[in-house]
Amino acid sequence: MIGQLRSELLKQRSTQTTVYLFVAMFGLVALAVSMHVITLDATDLATRARQLEVYQVGSRAGMVFAGIAGAIAITAEIRYGTIRPTFLITPRRGPVLVAKLAISALVGAVFGLIAEGLMAADAAVAFGVRGIDNRLTAADYAQLFSGGAAAAALWAAAGVGIGALVRNQVTALVGLSAWMFIVESTTESFLPDAARFLPGGSGLALAGNSADLSAAVAGPLLLLYAVVAAVAGWRATMHRDIA
Amino acid sequence: MPLDASRYRPAHETLDALDPVQPPRLDTVVSCRALTKRYGDFAAVDDITFSLEAGTVTGMLGPNGAGKTTTLRLLLGLAEPTSGQALVFGRRYRELPDPVRRVGAVLESTDFHPSRSGRDHLRTLALAAGLPLSRVDELLELVELAGAARRRVRTYSLGMRQRLGLAAALLGDPELLILDEPANGLDPVGVRWLRNFLQTYAGRGRAVLLSSHLLAEVALTVDQVLIINRGRLLARGGITELTGGGQSLEDVYVELTEGEGS
Repeated sequence: MIGQLRSELLKQRSTQTTVYLFVAMFGLVALAVSMHVITLDATDLATRARQLEVYQVGSRAGMVFAGIAGAIAITAEIRYGTIRPTFLITPRRGPVLVAKLAISALVGAVFGLIAEGLMAADAAVAFGVRGIDNRLTAADYAQLFSGGAAAAALWAAAGVGIGALVRNQVTALVGLSAWMFIVESTTESFLPDAARFLPGGSGLALAGNSADLSAAVAGPLLLLYAVVAAVAGWRATMHRDIA
Repeated sequence: MPLDASRYRPAHETLDALDPVQPPRLDTVVSCRALTKRYGDFAAVDDITFSLEAGTVTGMLGPNGAGKTTTLRLLLGLAEPTSGQALVFGRRYRELPDPVRRVGAVLESTDFHPSRSGRDHLRTLALAAGLPLSRVDELLELVELAGAARRRVRTYSLGMRQRLGLAAALLGDPELLILDEPANGLDPVGVRWLRNFLQTYAGRGRAVLLSSHLLAEVALTVDQVLIINRGRLLARGGITELTGGGQSLEDVYVELTEGEGS
């Protein structure tokens, strides 16, 4: 199993994909934060709760990019055909998937930490420039980083499962992004009571960006989503023929 | 799984230090029994039965879409048979202990991530197989890719990709080599290199099963052929047996595949 983990880690390190994803995430967070902090009214940004909501952008970006990295871990193998040598070396297939889940969760946590870090730095500068007091406490930051990393790790594991299930890389990536930025934000506007229980909504609660759901509920709920996706991907991978 | 690194000879010795007097073993390495794979009403592989022994080089011949690749995928556990059995060393491939040391295979010459280097490609596989990374460099030498090892596969020619695929298949120094259309894209020097390699390899009591539609090449490389068309096994035998009536392999092949009531 150690060999499988090292193999998966090398797969992630030996292409430029992960670096491109980090760069894309960096750009997205910088853009989104700047727009929020520049356009919103200063009085609207004066409370701790509102500031934490602005920080949602970082948590969302961390989760969705981690999910994308997880999905790519399996769909790139299918797209480029390396799944064949991979499964010839490990024909039982299960250890490959376990290693992908573990390494993707690790990489996902790094995405989460970096997204929250970017967000915090960017927002601190922007608040400072506009003369808005930063209301966040040390405990808020601790939850943003730990909860944001955990949420992103779980999204990455879910991404592996979804990628294994749908197999087509474009479908998986568009699906994950559309889920976070269209389905969840629409639900949030029209059915906020339901939105907090969705994978993105529970991730926000876990990172402390939203007070709609306690982290003690949000964590297990998001874990459940990740397990369901991983099991679905597992079942598909173990039994399906490889073209 | 403990590793015995001494088991691997340096690549430059691998080809010339072979023992030519090793007697051929008659162990069955591949056996297909009534092997069938259906996709709806279409039988890609239809009731195929054959077995192969160690020390033989077998060519699987047939037109495109005859069922050659599907047969190999069934043997390698990448697809499940609808009925019948496909066994390597007496077991289903997915149940084989330590498969990398028993079977090496190349199904597609394009199975690489374009922005990963050849060396990293082999390393990901060696790590998953629990093989020492020094084995990767030996194989890069053997297939003459050491100079290009750190370049991305995107920059490789088709011949280089074929050799990289072969290196991956040889990582565990397997007893059986399964190759789908290995001569595709090779230049004449590459084809000769491959032929010499396969003959030396089989001379060590190991078995090779390759599919091809290049009949002239197959006639030079293999001991026996399996002729497949429309998922069915039409003929099986040694080259000399099949061409006994003064016919060329091409004559036999065309007669069999065209005479199929098409």
